[in-house]
Parts: sequence; structure tokens; C-alpha cells
Amino acid sequence: MGLKVPFVTSYLTEHFGDDDFTKLEGYRKRGGWEAARKALTTMTPDEVTETVKASGLQGRGGAGFPAGLKWSFMPKGGDKPRYIACNADESEPGSFKDRILLERGAHQMLEGILIGAWAMQAEKTFIYCRGEYAGPGASIRRALEECYAAGILGANCLGTGFCHDVVLMLGAGAYICGEETGLLESLEGKKGQPRKKPPFPAQHGAFGMPTTVNNVETFSHVRHILNHGPEWFKGFGTDKSPGTTIFGVSGHVARPGLFELPLGTRLDEIIFEHAGGVANGRKLKGVIPGGMSMPILPAGQIDVQMANEFLRERKTMLGTGGIIVMDETTCMVRASCVITYFFRDESCGQCTQCREGTGWLHKIITRIERGAGSMEDIDILADIAGKMEGATICAFADAAAWPVQGMLRHFREDFELHVKHGKCPFPESFEL
Amino acid sequence: MVISEETRAKIEAEIAKYPQRRGGLLPALHLVQKEKGWISLETAQELAGIFGIKPVDVMEVVSFYSMFYDRPQGRHHVHVCTNLPCSLRGSRDLLRGLEAHLGVEAGETTLDGRITLGHEECLGACGYSPMMRVDETYHEDLDLASAREIVDGLK
Amino acid sequence: MAKLSVDGVDYEVADGRTILQALDDLGLLMNGVDVPHYCWHPKLSVDGSCRLCQVEVEGFPKLQIGCNTPIKDGMVVRTKSERVKKAREGVMELLLVNHPLDCPICDQAGECKLQDYAFEYGATHARTEEPRRALKKRVDLGPTITFDQERCILCRRCVRFCREVSETGELGVFNRGDHSVVETFPGTKVDNPYSMNIADICPVGALTTKDFRFKIRVWFLEEPPGICTGCANGCNVFLGVANNKVYRYVPRRNDAVNETWICDSGRMTYKQIGAADRLERAMLRSAQGTLEATAYGQAIDEAAARLRRLVQTKGPGVIAGVASAFASNEDLAIFRRFLAALGTDLAGVAIPTGEADDLLIKAEKAPNGEGARLLGFADAKGVADRIRGGRVEGLVVLGHDLLGPGYFGSEQELAKLDTVIVLDTHRSELERVSHVLLPVRHAAEKHATYTNHAGRVQRSWPVIEPSFEAYADGEVLSRLGAALGLAGFDGKFEVGEVSRGLGKLASAFRGIDLESVGEQGLPVAMKAG
Repeated sequence: MGLKVPFVTSYLTEHFGDDDFTKLEGYRKRGGWEAARKALTTMTPDEVTETVKASGLQGRGGAGFPAGLKWSFMPKGGDKPRYIACNADESEPGSFKDRILLERGAHQMLEGILIGAWAMQAEKTFIYCRGEYAGPGASIRRALEECYAAGILGANCLGTGFCHDVVLMLGAGAYICGEETGLLESLEGKKGQPRKKPPFPAQHGAFGMPTTVNNVETFSHVRHILNHGPEWFKGFGTDKSPGTTIFGVSGHVARPGLFELPLGTRLDEIIFEHAGGVANGRKLKGVIPGGMSMPILPAGQIDVQMANEFLRERKTMLGTGGIIVMDETTCMVRASCVITYFFRDESCGQCTQCREGTGWLHKIITRIERGAGSMEDIDILADIAGKMEGATICAFADAAAWPVQGMLRHFREDFELHVKHGKCPFPESFEL
Repeated sequence: MVISEETRAKIEAEIAKYPQRRGGLLPALHLVQKEKGWISLETAQELAGIFGIKPVDVMEVVSFYSMFYDRPQGRHHVHVCTNLPCSLRGSRDLLRGLEAHLGVEAGETTLDGRITLGHEECLGACGYSPMMRVDETYHEDLDLASAREIVDGLK
Repeated sequence: MAKLSVDGVDYEVADGRTILQALDDLGLLMNGVDVPHYCWHPKLSVDGSCRLCQVEVEGFPKLQIGCNTPIKDGMVVRTKSERVKKAREGVMELLLVNHPLDCPICDQAGECKLQDYAFEYGATHARTEEPRRALKKRVDLGPTITFDQERCILCRRCVRFCREVSETGELGVFNRGDHSVVETFPGTKVDNPYSMNIADICPVGALTTKDFRFKIRVWFLEEPPGICTGCANGCNVFLGVANNKVYRYVPRRNDAVNETWICDSGRMTYKQIGAADRLERAMLRSAQGTLEATAYGQAIDEAAARLRRLVQTKGPGVIAGVASAFASNEDLAIFRRFLAALGTDLAGVAIPTGEADDLLIKAEKAPNGEGARLLGFADAKGVADRIRGGRVEGLVVLGHDLLGPGYFGSEQELAKLDTVIVLDTHRSELERVSHVLLPVRHAAEKHATYTNHAGRVQRSWPVIEPSFEAYADGEVLSRLGAALGLAGFDGKFEVGEVSRGLGKLASAFRGIDLESVGEQGLPVAMKAG
């Protein structure tokens, strides 16, 4: 693997180009672990939580739930151990930001975890890292070894008497383990089938104990918030969506890669100013803004700020900021085949609408793609997607329905052309 | 006994990290696969004994996760990502090229047992596609020539 | 308690219940308030995956699943709105996308919840033209069950039953998404004493019993209530009756006795009703020593003659009565009066025993051992000893459990008796030493009450008529008593009257009779507390 640091950096990734930043000594030279020391020695757990709350940090795993608020849900006192689960299961197609945060910024993430552990008085963190991320897993292991050797983690963290252990578990290839409670099930050694809610993880989480689940990037922001304060953090991004995030741009762009930019940066700016615009002089057709679960936007609607409050108006969402760019050669029906195949393959299979709906959507779209579909089939697609929404144990069914709805909303014509011509009318499109 | 003493010791070390024994099951399956390449029925029965669960419970888990195999595999796994961002940049053509080169279809193992070729969902390398995962290593920014060279180098 | 409003009607429900549990507690679920469901079962853990039980709950923007929504005081639920209808239609359509069109050859047809709910809540026609999953069919899942993997709608009731009730855990769900399948560990089977319950709880024809396979269409069956006579638990059943024949038992819910379950061997005791070895003819030992079929009345007269001779020559003290724990409370009440009127106190009840478990199976392998004891019958071991000691010359015996290992082990020691009169439902080795054989009715052929191990009195109804001449034991004994001229015996047997008189014979039965026990039974007076 070559060095693949973001093309545009900010406070999260500015040192990712320096190899010694990945080691404890180099990390400490640049102020690493100071925020954790400050939190554990000068702040009460509640003060830490309030600081994170005040910053307005939204979870960066795709759901955007306010992190500080989530931390405040953890019960205080009692004799039940409290746990943290760090969601390093990044599997959203188009999203590859957590990977670099793990490969080059493991200490940064661990520092955020220790701060969170102090705030929530948790005794153990389980880092659930997707099984295919062998490199990032090794990076986490190295950082953990260093932290334990240096007395940062384990018994008597940073000499404060606070104890916190961190355990790394590798997943085994299941997107649904990125869902909060699917992750917990997998952590417990079972199939990663999401749980019914209530109860929520703060009441009944890992191994039945109160647990908070947060994403790798979410934890990575925490030390900066502690170091510079909530007001500083709110100086990045928008009123409702503060801070930076790492956008991943892929597909038909000249310079695909990672870009750490403030939330609220315009999508067209990211594509054309940072990612080099559409490659090969072609015209833009559509962009998926937030990872493949998010509804697509047509070329005419990318003048939108990348933050939930704005994207919602365009009937899509920020998700994990995985920006997938498609040019004019792309057949959206073929793209939909790839999309629906993914959701069919990754559905855990519990809920009727998800298990059968993901399969049916894929079958119909595949049939339309090869020219054996009808106009009625296109209506049926919309109907199935509608029936999958808002009715299941977890949001996977929604995530599977939204892309189809987005495609039909903006690119229905591609589907109708397949039906009319009995084959794909885009000769230059990728083949299945 | 199918699972070696050494692997059993490693499994116990993993189990110790979790509040309940069963938390060590996924790590155990990874360890066993490292040793054996796949999870046989016998292996599943032994694991069931180690964890105090039923063999059917072990097979549920094995069958649920893409990275656990219930049948023998090639010595190397070569998985090309064929999800959307990679497809847009030609990964499916790359896979077809490798199929032709190796003489197997995705999902199959070469006759000499060297390579199991497959396609995989998003591996988190969308900006560096086409790409493939060879065992624990990512190979990115590929074209067919460089991909062929990599697989030819596998023993 | 909490207030719950459902479709505009107010109810008081216990705290801590879910919507479905509350409706079930009220006896309204699918019986006044329709909330169709698959994966939920009142006696299994909550699954929440079928999504069919969605209802509107005021204050919640999304529909909520009734099985996992706890009642809060003042909750307002709506089950008939357009949103709910659309949601149900959606679930039904999606379940039918992969379901094979097996109805014409599927045993479940007629009692299939997929058929029922598709008809009631589903769309009128199918829109899918996609090929359906091709999976395993006619799987030999074990000694009792045939499994069709394609028909399975993945409600996972069977998996939960094996984990939570039989605690044998043979089943799991492999793979994920629409490749999910119910499976066993390769090479293993579902083999436990309660295995056939999974066919009951399977809403579709994925799990069916080998015993019932292709026997009869369920819409030909009447399903009157009754009880199993296999052991002292007295599990409640529905008998599947057609053509004056019982085709099967299925468990009937009784939360005080068997919840919704029955053991496999109890379920199979229905076969005893129509068995080839039913005693169908009254028989007499001829002078030549052979057993000859005879008219029923003649057999009774001969029995009376033999007993009269014994009484006149040796006195009634040489006559013993051995009751059966298969006889009803009413039968035993008459038997007790008969023996007393005859003038003997040599009486006992022979009860077959075997293994018991922690779930339903009881050690006494007959339905009325407790009834016999409450009506004054000691164990027949004492009588057996007297017979061995040569003190008995005449024996009136109900059933043939006297030949069981706890008593005689074989009929040979009874060969020396002068008179053996047998009232039985089935033939047995006892014939070899009998002088009179009188066919009697099975529980399913008469009005009768039985007292289970816990003192619960439950009843049976006559759901079939035997194709041969047979009477309740009590009726036969009434006629025998009249033939003997015993005081208080006029030959008439009105079972209702006898039943109402039980309380006078034994105070435990106060307030208990055929009518009062109804379909769910009643505990005897001392247990009711």
C-alpha cells in the first residue's frame, strides 16, 4: 500500500503524512494524549460530557446522532460495568475515511476513546474492526501495545488511578455489523442480527451491560474539542453541523481520494475544485453524496452544502460523506443492479420486508437491465421500496430502499429506456 | 482432535478478554481458519465443545459471515471489489480478465489449489480502484497487467 | 393496572404487558381484535421479525410492532386504519414472493396462516414473476417431522421452541438475507420428546408431522375438545374427527395444565382409539374353555351369575375389585358403590408408571390415578398380595394394568381364580384367564371427568361413536349391579347425575361435575384453597 493520506487536510489528518505521528513518541511530540490528561486530571466526567455536548459534535458513522447527548444516556453509578464499543466496521460503499484514521491516526482515536471512557466511567472499550481491514487492525494493535507499555491504558491510566482496557476484535465480513446493535451481537460471538429497540445500548448493550457505540471518526474529533474548546470546534462547519469531516470521493473523477473539509462545504466545490472534476472531459450525470445508502442527486442539484440540514431538502443525506461520482456514460439501471445486489447480499434476513424486498428489488432491476422489464415493473419498484421504509428492526431496509427511490426520482428515464429498447441504451457504460 | 493445542491456547487467551466466553467465538474462528483454511464439521463440533454451545450454533455463525468458509479453500484468496465505485472504474472488467487468466470463475478455486478467486463488496479503497484483496493485503490502483503479475507471484 | 384503548374501546390490563400479550390476556387476540402475526407466540420469546403485527400507537410516528411494544397507561392503539392495512398488505406480499405454490399438495392447507392472512389482509393478486428460491423439500428432519425449506417464512418459532421449551436446540438459521434457511447441524435430526409441537407452531406447511402426512384434508375435520389420556398430566387437546374416526390430536391451550404443548407420545395416543386391538365383542369362556363372542346382555348376566355363586358359596370377601386409572371419576364412583354393595373391601387401583420429566410428562401413565385415590382406591399392590396369598377367588377388573410390572407381570398367577370379569377398552393377555370380557368406551367416546396429577378435574366428550357395542365402565357396572340385585342399583346410568354426586362421595369434588369443569377444568376443593 502506498501512502494515501488525504489531499486536503485539517486538524484530524494534518499530520498523517508523517510516519512518526503513527508512533506514540511522535504523537506525543505533537501534543498527543494531552487532552486525555487534562480530562482525567482536571475535569469531572460530567464536565467532559458537557464539553462534547456543547461542541455539537454529530456522530460520524452515518446517522449523525449528537455524540455528547449519546454519552449522557449512559447510566451513572450502580454495579453494572459500562462499556464502549468503537465502530470500526466501515463498510459503506464509497466510504473509506475511517480506514485512514485507523492506519495513520490510531492514537488520536484511542485518545478520544479514553476521554469518552472517563466521561462515561466505562471500564472497557471493544474496538470492532471489520475483518478485511488487516492493515488498520495491525495499526490499532501497535498503538495499543504502545499505550499499555507506556501506562496510558490498562490499570492506572496516565497515572490517574482510572482503569480502562481496550480490546480489539476483528469482524468477518458482514456490513450489518456496522449497525449499532448488529455490532453488539457480533461482539458477543453471534450472528450480527440487529436487536429490537427498546432497549437501547445504553440500557442493554454489550453482554447485557450499558454500552455506548461511536464511530472511529467521532472519537477522533474528541481530543481536539477538549484541547481547543467547543467554540473553536463550532468555528468549523455550519451552525447545525460543526466540525470537519473526511469526504471520500470516488468514481469518475480525476483525483479520487480523501478530503478533510468542514461540514457544509459545497458538493460541487468538493468534486470540481478538490477532486479534479469529472475525468476524461466527460459531463457529470449523477452523484451519490453520502455513501451508497443515500439517494442520488442529479448533476443539476449538486450545488448543495454537505450537511444534513441542507441535504435533507434535496431528499438525501450526509451519511458517511462517501461521494460517488458518475458521468454521462453511466447506466443508472446497471448502477442500480450493483446497488441492489449489495443490499440483497448484506441483509441480515430477519425482517420480512428487508429479506424479501432486497431480493425482489434486485431481481426486478436485473430483469429490467437485460431488457425483459415492463413499465409496470418500474412502478412496482417504487411500491416495494415504499413498503420497506420505516417498518423494520433496523434502518438497513431504509438504506436499501432509499437508493432505489432516488434513482426513480431522478433517473427514471434510464429504466424506461431499458424497457422501451429491450436493452441497455448506454454503450459506454460499465458492464455488469 | 482437529484444533491444535497451540491454537486452543490462543483461543483461550482471546476468550479471557471478554465478559462471556462466547465473545471469543469470532476470534476463535479466525484463528482456526488461519490454521486450517476453513471450518469443517469436525472443527465446528470441537469449537462447540470449547464454547459450551451446540455445533448448529457454530455453523449459524460460520454461514452468516462472508469471511468464514465451510469448505476447503485455495491457499490464497484473491478478491476483487465489484461494488459501485470500483465498478465505475473498471473493476468488473478486471475480474473478468483474472477469470480468463486463471481459468476459473469468481467463487472457484484453481485446480492446483493455489488461488480462490472471488468478488467482494466494498473494501474501503474506493479512491484507489480498481483494487483487490489478496489474503490480508490490499493491492490498489490496478490494471489487468499489474493484477496478473500479482497473482502470478502467489505460491 | 393500566388503561388501554384499542379501536375506541377501553380496557384495563396488567402492568408490564405488551400489546399482543394484553390482547391475549383479554382473550381478544384474533378473537374480536385482529392483530395477525407469525413470529410471536404466547409461550416463546419475542422475535419481532415478521413485522406483520404492526399497529398504530398514538404518539408514535411510525407503526409499532404489537409484540414488542410495552403498554403504557393511557395508550391508544388502532388496528383498523389504512396505514395498518397497507403495512399488512406489504408484509403479506413480500412473504409470498418466494413462497412456493404448494397449496394443492401441502398438509397445512385449510389451517395455514399464510393462506388465511393472505386472504384476509393481502392483495388480491400476485405481481411477482420472478423465479422463486429453490430449496430442500421433503427433508426427513427426524423421526416425527418432514421439513420443506421452501415453504418456510423464517418466523423462527421452531428454532425458539427447540432452544427454549424442549431445550434441545437442534435448529438454527443459516446464511443471511434471502439466502436464510432453517437448518440442523449436518447429520443431526430434530429428535426430542416434544418434537411434534414445532409442526403445530409452524404457521405454514414447512414443518408437518409424518404421522398426519396426506391423511386427510383438515377442512373435513371437526376439532372438538378433549384431553390426552397418556399420563396424569391430562394435556388438553383438540381431536381431529371425521368419518367417525379420530385422525390426530393437536394440543389445546390450557395455561394451568400444558400451556400450548403436548408430548409426542401423548399426542400419538389418539391411535389407541381406533386401534385394531380394541375389545369389540363381549366374550364368555365356554365350557370347552374357549372364549366365545356373545350378546352383551348375556355376558352381563353370566358375570352376575358367577359372582352370585361365589358370594353364596364363599361370601363376598373372596371377591376383589381392581380399578383402572383410565376409568373416569364417574366410572370409579359407580365401581366403589358396586364393591361396597357387593360386600367386599378388597379394592385397589392399578396404575402403570414410567419416566417423568420437568416439562409435561408425568410418571403415572394414565389420566385418573389421582381421581382413583380421591375416590378411596388404594394402590392395587395390596390386592395383588391377597391374590397371591390365595385369598381371592373372584376378580372384577377394569383395564389390564394389573398385568404391569408393579403388580403381577403376567396373567399366569390369575389363572387359578374362579372368576375373572374384565371391563376393558383393548384386548390383552388378561383374556387368557378371563371368564367374561366386557368392552368399554374410551374417553373420546363418552362424557367423563378425570383428575390429573395436580388435582385438576378435566373432562372429555363423546366425539365419536364406537362401531361396536360398548358402554362406559360405570354403565356396565350399573347393569351388573342390577343383575346382581345389589341395593341401590336399578341398571340406569345417567352420567350427569353421577358426576354431580361425586362431591358427596369425596369432599374434594365438591362443586365439581361435568358441567362446572367446562373446557379448561377446575381444581379439586382442597387445591383451590
